[in-house]
Amino acid sequence: MFQPSTIRVTSASKSFRFSGVRFLAGLLTLLVVNDRVANRCLAADDAKLQADLQFFEAKIRPLLIEKCVDCHGPEKQESDLRLDKYAGMLSGGVSGPAIVPGKADESLMIAAIHYKDAALQMPPDGKLADAEIELLKDWVNRGAPHPEASDTAPSVAPRRTPIDLEEARKFWAFRSVTRPAIPVVKDDEWVQTPIDAFILATLESQGLRPNRPADKVTLIRRMSYDMTGLPPSPEEVAEFLADDSPGAIARLVDRLLESKEYGEHWGRHWLDIARYADSNGLDENVAHGNAWRYRDYVVRSLNQDKPLDRFIIEQIAGDLLAKQELASAGVPTDADPSTVAVSPEVADLRIATGFLTLGPKVLAEADKVKMRMDIIDEQIDTIGKAFLGMTLGCARCHDHKFDPISTADYYAMAGILGSTQTMETFKTVAKWHENPIASEELLASRASHQKRIDAQKAKIDARFAAAVAVLRAEQAATKAAEAKAAADAAKDAADKAAAAQQAADKAAAEAAKVNGAANPQAANDALGNPQAAAPQEAPVANQQTAQAAAAAPPQEKPEELEAKFPEAVRNELKGLRDELAALDKAMPPLPTAMGVKDESEITDQKIHVRGSHLTLGASVPRGVPVVLTPGEPIAMPPASSGRLELAKWLVSPDNPLTPRVLVNRVWRWHFGRGLVPSVDNFGLLGEAPTHPELLEWLASELPRSGWSLKSLHRLILLSSTYQMSSEPNEASVAIDQDNRYWWRADIRRLEAESIRDGLLAASGRLDRSMGGSMLHVGNHEFIFNHTSKDETNYDTTRRSLYLPVIRNNLYDGFTLFDYSTADVVNGDRQTSTVAPQALFMLNSEIVLSSAEALADRLLREEAADDQQRIERLYAMTLSRYPETEESTAVLDFLAKFQAEQPAPPTPAAAPSAEVTLAEVAPDTPTPAASQPGQGSAPAVDGTAKDAAAPRAPVDPRREAWVAICQGLLISNEFYYLH
Amino acid sequence: MIHRRRMLQGSAVGFGHLALTAMLHADAARANDVKRPEAPPKYHFPPRAKRIIFLFMKGGPSHVDTFDYKPKLQADDGKDLPFDKPSVQFAATGKLLASPWKFEPYGENGIMVSTLFPNVARCVDDICFLHSVHGTNAAHGGALLKLHTGSDNFVRPSMGAWVHYGLGTDNENLPGFITICPTLAHGGVKNWGSAFLPAKHQGVPLGVASKPSTEANVKFIHNPRWTPAQQRLQLDLVNQINRQHLTDHPVEPSLEARIASLELAFRMQADMPEAQDLSQETEETKQLYGLDVKETEDFGRQCLLARRFAERGVRFIQVTHSDTNVQWDQHGDLKNGHEKNAKEVDKPIAGLLTDLKRRGLLDDTLVMWGGEFGRTPVAQGTNGRDHNPEGFTMWLAGGGVRGGFRYGATDEYGYYAVENKMHIHDLHATMLHLLGLDHLKLTYRHAGRDFRLTDVAGNVHKEIMA
Repeated sequence: MFQPSTIRVTSASKSFRFSGVRFLAGLLTLLVVNDRVANRCLAADDAKLQADLQFFEAKIRPLLIEKCVDCHGPEKQESDLRLDKYAGMLSGGVSGPAIVPGKADESLMIAAIHYKDAALQMPPDGKLADAEIELLKDWVNRGAPHPEASDTAPSVAPRRTPIDLEEARKFWAFRSVTRPAIPVVKDDEWVQTPIDAFILATLESQGLRPNRPADKVTLIRRMSYDMTGLPPSPEEVAEFLADDSPGAIARLVDRLLESKEYGEHWGRHWLDIARYADSNGLDENVAHGNAWRYRDYVVRSLNQDKPLDRFIIEQIAGDLLAKQELASAGVPTDADPSTVAVSPEVADLRIATGFLTLGPKVLAEADKVKMRMDIIDEQIDTIGKAFLGMTLGCARCHDHKFDPISTADYYAMAGILGSTQTMETFKTVAKWHENPIASEELLASRASHQKRIDAQKAKIDARFAAAVAVLRAEQAATKAAEAKAAADAAKDAADKAAAAQQAADKAAAEAAKVNGAANPQAANDALGNPQAAAPQEAPVANQQTAQAAAAAPPQEKPEELEAKFPEAVRNELKGLRDELAALDKAMPPLPTAMGVKDESEITDQKIHVRGSHLTLGASVPRGVPVVLTPGEPIAMPPASSGRLELAKWLVSPDNPLTPRVLVNRVWRWHFGRGLVPSVDNFGLLGEAPTHPELLEWLASELPRSGWSLKSLHRLILLSSTYQMSSEPNEASVAIDQDNRYWWRADIRRLEAESIRDGLLAASGRLDRSMGGSMLHVGNHEFIFNHTSKDETNYDTTRRSLYLPVIRNNLYDGFTLFDYSTADVVNGDRQTSTVAPQALFMLNSEIVLSSAEALADRLLREEAADDQQRIERLYAMTLSRYPETEESTAVLDFLAKFQAEQPAPPTPAAAPSAEVTLAEVAPDTPTPAASQPGQGSAPAVDGTAKDAAAPRAPVDPRREAWVAICQGLLISNEFYYLH
Repeated sequence: MIHRRRMLQGSAVGFGHLALTAMLHADAARANDVKRPEAPPKYHFPPRAKRIIFLFMKGGPSHVDTFDYKPKLQADDGKDLPFDKPSVQFAATGKLLASPWKFEPYGENGIMVSTLFPNVARCVDDICFLHSVHGTNAAHGGALLKLHTGSDNFVRPSMGAWVHYGLGTDNENLPGFITICPTLAHGGVKNWGSAFLPAKHQGVPLGVASKPSTEANVKFIHNPRWTPAQQRLQLDLVNQINRQHLTDHPVEPSLEARIASLELAFRMQADMPEAQDLSQETEETKQLYGLDVKETEDFGRQCLLARRFAERGVRFIQVTHSDTNVQWDQHGDLKNGHEKNAKEVDKPIAGLLTDLKRRGLLDDTLVMWGGEFGRTPVAQGTNGRDHNPEGFTMWLAGGGVRGGFRYGATDEYGYYAVENKMHIHDLHATMLHLLGLDHLKLTYRHAGRDFRLTDVAGNVHKEIMA
């Protein structure tokens, strides 16, 4: 029903290339221009343009806003026309372009405002004043000056007509994957894997020559960081250098791929796509207490080389696969899932669907329907970008402006996710659903623990019953005696009460006399202890006892009975109950994992007109985007959400996007940029592949290799392309400075995690244990409540992968070094170079403590002299030995720095903001201006704890070594890969 | 032409933001999309304000008890609201609740201000009250995000990041966007984050709301181990190592940029403490901000710091009034809560306005005051008010706005904005306009489309401009 029939899509040509010329021009202008010049308004030579633009801003824009934009603007686009944007005027609406700059007579808009044609009269509610008409006419004749006219606006115009599916399917990204022939190249010696043939063919056609292979030290650093996120140890480097045999590199690759650190590092890449986080962030920052299970699942999956198609299916519909497995194992479908044990494999299937749940959510949204649709939207957006490279989320409110995705496509997917239960409750603060994942062992241990609890309860009951029996026997034996005693006591008590009353009356009279007035309070005081009244109760109580003793067996409550037990018995019972409480507490918790399940009710979604749940349109059958299903629509089961069908379709041969997107992601992570540079966007506004045939070949190879990621790694790592050196080559720079064609390896900064892990590894402090949670708060608990008290704690030497990912308050070392914000799919982290990074490297505790640990290690190790220590230091940090002049520089520093020791610390003089460094110029040391802290090991954690702790006496030589070690750890060579 | 200007603009940026890098670093240029402008455009029209100081009142101060006087509310205390409450409310509320405070006229135009703000009241001739502000979210988290980022359900750059992206900074040795003692709750860093804008545009937090402003510092600005002289020596060694390394790798702008960033950081270590050194201020100035009084000392210091940063070329400065309790969020005990809060901020804010004015800074500094929403004219419990995003008051001062002016209005009880309604998007559009930026043109290409602070909405309210 939503198969649009009309035709035409504007075809795209791409114009935004990062050009070397622009690059160089920028470099030059930077040297001569200061910011104030740049901030000024238009320069004088733009005077005419400025006048024109002022005319537009003063006269035309207000007129358009007042008369036109309400219907042809951001809110509404009557007849698909927008007059608030220059591009909209030019591309026009259903009737064609609104203006032809310079030609008022040919401009539809001018015709319309003249009310010449009865069918085209604008504005509809009344003709403009003549002066206004003249203004618009004048403006168009002036060439329609508009501030957006000079913008590098997208050359792709928004689509104005219904989606033409046949035409749309011709776009490269939507075509079926082909298997291009491997090109024939001149220098076939250079070709180690088919990748090289594709790369070399392009290089040869561009007149470029590939660089020579990188040296072995460079290669092992590059490969180690690339595959494990960690630097090679000096021993690993030595071993690799010593291996001259032909298979040395292949063996290195095998070792790296088999290491558990491989899954940790490449799993982290995937977590960028899964917008993984250990807290919700957004409005209410509560803990994702079980997110770590998903993280560990990802690491496991990659280390096992789980086929990527399977990996994807599990993340979208693992719960449904688990259901199938359990059903085939004979588990009743209506069994309470928390009582059904599952194998680790089935548990992983449930954990995998955490992928759908991990997104940031507005958990205090008052409008619950909106919250639900927002969560579905987040899921659609994530699935679209992660697997298809499509911005499906754009079609929530309107048909996608550029890509052939309609609102019907969007709500077809919303139907699948709307039939999926993501949330347990929408009540503020809302909670997401979690699936039970208890193993047989765990359920058994819970059952046996329950038996101990039951036994303890039985024991308590038995002891109680025994005590009651004793009590009853005693009661029976004393029944007669009690009855007599009670009668006596009653009389006695009555006498006492009468006496007390008499005393009270007397005292009250005395008090009144003393105070000169009647004072009831004084009278009461005179009565003294309120227990004076007790005797009045005594007879009653005793009478009751007497009655009870005389009557049928008593109906006392257990606690009343127990109060009558002897003290020893009562204590014994308390002890037993304390044991029971401890047992209850020790019950192994039922583990759960963030994840989804099908709703009990499977429903299609209605189109939400303009994205609002308050204006519903036609219902859309569940499904996947029509443009990607040229054959029959995917059949959706009536009794389940359709997620399994969606998941299987994602990795089916029918869908060309997933393999293309995946191999491009892997290429990006290896090389720093994708064959399609816009890795998360393969739509019309994305970028075309620089090497389309290579992309096709890799996309076709992926399913052939059984979707093996490790096979893909081998193809890449063992290629000459990957193994080239990064050195510049004058001839090649002249042709391709930006290295678009890969004639060399790019120099790349380490990623945030590798900076931290590298520091810890080089200083010998890295804790390599795997898995588990490091959150300090329980599931669903606030990481921050309104008090802004910071509950995060990053003080650990474990790998960065295991630091909690706290949205809205990421670890500083992550935020500073371009970590994913963990909010949205991010397959292409930026690389920035900003001063706060330098502050972190200069002053943070993790860098200082790493330097200190490294220095202590150096000084501990046996070494002939400082020269040898320097050599060892270079090996441990840069995987090489120092040149002579490098050693000399370090030795000089050693002497100079030791001479530059601070004055002895004055007590209580903490470093403060008053410290000024302003006078300190390069190479002109000045006396110490503040108390430096020395000696004690700072915490690992990178948070600034500026107040220095009391320090041990300073060892100038050790200090100098710490300074040297820090110097190498913050050097460019440590920080960049070649 | 555009390319050239963007290139130029790149040099206009500092901290957070080493000028060279974004431009020079090839990685930054190859981005997700066709076009990713790395440097912002020029002014779109002459700016009235060069910088912003945003005084954020966390929790939602009540407009009907401060600046939006409603005689009818006073008259109808205890009666039913004669019209419908919003379809989506945060909590259940009861009958109309009169303000416990008296209002009196101030300034040339007799603007009514309650006794909660006696000092700010004396500045009304410099203030432009926006009585018709409204948002879309009745919960703190959503409302904070809406106010700070323009979106309550998507992750978007904060307004300070947009402004920094648009205009850069005037002082490379200081951050261009500073937020003093921000709250970590309800959006936390997203409220000063850069989202998909380059990281250099994000705000730099000084301290957090849960700690006193005496502890508000840039992270890692101080080295706990080395003296400045020692660190200089060390940096010289690092430079030597890096230059040696560079000879093997010429034409690597990223390597050079990093060398420069280390030197910039070193300079910043000197300049930042200087900017924060209040010992340079006279006693008279400190008293003007209330630094001599216990209740006003903390917020007063934040305001004084804001002025010092403004003087030094910081583009966007946010000051947050918060505490470790409920802030301005008086669901109950309105009287005591608001009295405590107002006492803490009234004198410092008046001090800031006075100080900026006498230094000639108020002309081109836009001061913006407000919370994430207002409060209901109807009671929650017996003595509290619920969240009200339907209509509330924010105010602007300096930076080219009309002083002594009241713009827009809520209904006669103060529940809904009814006249010259100003949505948060409109506020953003107007704020950018005052800074010389067209909210329709301040765009950033991300994930396949151009994004704006104002999304697809926002109207500039020129009526408030002087």
